[in-house]
Amino acid sequence: MDRRVLFGFDWLWLLTLLALSGIGVIAIWSTTDGTSLDSYFGKQLIYLCCALFVFFALLYFNYHVFSDYIVFIYAAGMIMLGLVLVIGISSHGNKSWIDLGIITFQPSEVMKLIVIIALAKYYSRHEGEYLGIKELFIGGLIVYVPVFMVVMQRDLGTAVTYLPIYGVLSCLAGIRKKHLLLLLVIVVIATPIAWFSLQGYQRGRIMNVISPSSDPYGLGYQSRQSEIAIGSGRLLGKGFKQGSQGNLGFLPARHTDFVFAVLAEERGFVGSVLILGLFLFLSYRLFRTAREAKDKIGMMIVAGVLGLLLFHMTINIGMVEGLLPIAGIPLPFVSAGGSSLVTYYAAMSLCMGIWIRRYVN
Amino acid sequence: MNLFCYPVLLIFLILGARLWQLQIIQGAEYALKAENNRVRRIELIAPRGMILDRNNEVLAEHRSSFTVLLYRESITDPAETIRFLAEKLGINSEDVELKLRRSRESGLYRPIVVKEEAGIEDISIIEAHRRDHPEIQLVPEPLRSYKNNKLAAHLLGYIGEVTEEELDKDLFPSAHSGSLVGQSGIERKYNELLVGQNGERLVLVDSRGREVREVDPLDERIPITGGAVWLTLDLELQSVAEEALEGKVGAIVAMNPGNGEILAMASAPSFDPNAFSTRLSYKDWNALLEDPDHPLQNRCIQNSYAPGSIFKLIMAAAGLESGFLGEGTFVDCEGTAVYYGRVFHCVKDGHGRIGLENAIAKSCNIFFYELGRRLGISRIAEHAAILGLGEKTGIDLPGERSGIVPSPEWKRRTQEEPWFLGETIPVSIGQGALSATPLQILRAVSAFANGGILVTPHLLYSAEKSEVNQEWPKPQIPVSESSLRRIREGMWRSVNHAGTGYNAAIPGLGICGKTGTAQIVSKETQKRVPGVADDHAWFAGFSTKENPEIAVVVFVEHGGTGGAAAAPLARKMFKAFYDKRK
Repeated sequence: MDRRVLFGFDWLWLLTLLALSGIGVIAIWSTTDGTSLDSYFGKQLIYLCCALFVFFALLYFNYHVFSDYIVFIYAAGMIMLGLVLVIGISSHGNKSWIDLGIITFQPSEVMKLIVIIALAKYYSRHEGEYLGIKELFIGGLIVYVPVFMVVMQRDLGTAVTYLPIYGVLSCLAGIRKKHLLLLLVIVVIATPIAWFSLQGYQRGRIMNVISPSSDPYGLGYQSRQSEIAIGSGRLLGKGFKQGSQGNLGFLPARHTDFVFAVLAEERGFVGSVLILGLFLFLSYRLFRTAREAKDKIGMMIVAGVLGLLLFHMTINIGMVEGLLPIAGIPLPFVSAGGSSLVTYYAAMSLCMGIWIRRYVN
Repeated sequence: MNLFCYPVLLIFLILGARLWQLQIIQGAEYALKAENNRVRRIELIAPRGMILDRNNEVLAEHRSSFTVLLYRESITDPAETIRFLAEKLGINSEDVELKLRRSRESGLYRPIVVKEEAGIEDISIIEAHRRDHPEIQLVPEPLRSYKNNKLAAHLLGYIGEVTEEELDKDLFPSAHSGSLVGQSGIERKYNELLVGQNGERLVLVDSRGREVREVDPLDERIPITGGAVWLTLDLELQSVAEEALEGKVGAIVAMNPGNGEILAMASAPSFDPNAFSTRLSYKDWNALLEDPDHPLQNRCIQNSYAPGSIFKLIMAAAGLESGFLGEGTFVDCEGTAVYYGRVFHCVKDGHGRIGLENAIAKSCNIFFYELGRRLGISRIAEHAAILGLGEKTGIDLPGERSGIVPSPEWKRRTQEEPWFLGETIPVSIGQGALSATPLQILRAVSAFANGGILVTPHLLYSAEKSEVNQEWPKPQIPVSESSLRRIREGMWRSVNHAGTGYNAAIPGLGICGKTGTAQIVSKETQKRVPGVADDHAWFAGFSTKENPEIAVVVFVEHGGTGGAAAAPLARKMFKAFYDKRK
């Protein structure tokens, strides 16, 4: 390997990731029972090890290897999504997991990364200043065919996270104002259709953000408990395992989707702002990488990953803070769960690879 | 690319600002909400203080019991909860639904009492289903227990849940909604002396309302038992009075005539105050309220009756003090006399020439008709008032009546009519509109015994919590000792010298007394319908003549003549009092 590759490695970046994951692991330890390998805490540690292995393993390969073989990778991803529909197992009403014997695995998480690379690859081949309607349409297909598969799994939360990928990459590739308007018109038309195709509870969750106190013991319960958890943490928090909202079960999905509420309760304003700071720093690193990437495809991959990360983080924290509707979206790097963690470390590895190879031909 | 920076920074700013709002600005508010979420306050009811008699015999105490509570906010499936309560604990579903609805309407998160005095079986069932039914909880609650059941029920009173109205009026300073407070008798009068200080226990609960048992209670304040109260009552004498009234409707009061300490106070029929210690069902309540004999009424103080011939003692005092009765004043009693065109009766053949003492002893009507005619209604009313009739005695019990002393002024006020002279005649022998409570009669008779002191009857002997020793008013009335001596002589003769009160006599004891027979309907009606509306029987007296230690009043509703129906009961009281001395 090129020496510049080794010297270009950004330790601060990796430390930021480890800090986020470490905070997550401790929060999971704090809010769930047990420390055995079977516990949420133990599993999360194993996932983290796997994720780090994937991170360093993928770092070895030049990112062009992935973009060159993207057709095959994309096809494999689609087959996995298809398999889910056939042999997938259900959890929380979503049929989006594949049981691999030892672990269960969520292909829709990994597919996000594949879609980013695929779309980046497709758009980067385009030479002109603006994308044509044909390119926009094919790009749309690349994104929305998998989205359709995910929607078929009834996992709306995950499906929604694909949307910013298309938006961010299309804008970067160059989009005409009239096309942007056209897309917006499509969104406007699609919104009521989507609204009426939503399940009753999903509509309730959205209504709840608009009017949270209308039903405090019904749908608003989760938001209310989450706000209580965050608020009661105050400046410095209640301390390790001292969060009553989390440990006594008032918080729903406290180790996964609502892990930020546990952190805010136990670590207070100081801890919560630290996490926001870590995400901000990570975003800066990705932003810098996108700007200094050697080629267009590298820039687009990093931008896609950045868009995805920010979207995830905003939806999750916004939901936990009661600003956005409840959606089953985990907080990147922090929430318990292997598929999301491994996918994000893979994405980071890809971006880090683009960073350290920025001078390499 | 750089264009993306600003919206991204804005997002971070919004998320951070929201944290600032929730954690810093509203932090204290949310901390309180979290605390309310995880902490359940369990009120630990303090037992009320004991009530004891003057000899330390227990009248009211408490025993431990368990109450089943329903925590509305922890119910997940109301239908399932109601089914469980009905099937496993035998609690009426409609009652529970009603209580749930009321609780919802009140908007208060207070646990609902669904069963009191839970049995050992109920307790084990609830414990066994603790995890599936965290909304159903057992709490220990001390239950008021009246050891002697019906004995002294009227003066002890009973307890009950404080009403909204009582709370609004702030009658019970220490009570809050749901508190049990004294609702009558001593329990009510001395509620603040008897009431304890409730404690509380703060326990950790999880999101389903289940108590986290691995954690010790967060905080516990031990309930403080209320202070004991001692009464002037003598339990033995009280039992004698209650036994004497067995099967009758009436009242007996025994009092120390020197200081007004009540030794016994019985009213029949009685009730069992234990029935009120648990939240009484409407059915039992109505049965007590609709009973024609009014068992809840304390006849000693809460109802007034025509005193009949006992009033002659007050007539004597009025006559003596007004100068109408000298040593040589005699009246010829021929059995009948005509006043204002109406014929009035005495004993069949008349008493002949008779003086004050014998007129009291033999209860001669003609003597007092004549005295009444000479005195006039105003002097009669004036002396009745001096002896405490027409006003409350001031006994430390709620709900006392004041009775009626008729006068021209009273008649104008109540009936807007002038007084007719003919009305004075029946009042002279304690009939007409005149009415008094048995306790008022006892107090007046005590004044004859003790040299003219109008004592304040009372039941409080001492109290654990009371720092001030209450002074009971003992005014001296304007009746001279020589007048009192002549009245006492008449009362002594009534019992010991061929008088109407001979049934009360105990050889060797100088018992003084006076009988009374209050006519309800005219003699003619009585003859036509025998057995219906018999006269009220009275006896009031004290012992001994020289050293008055006990005064007794006996009243038997529709008992017949005072000599036959009331005097023997008084004798029992005197006998018990002096037997105990031996």
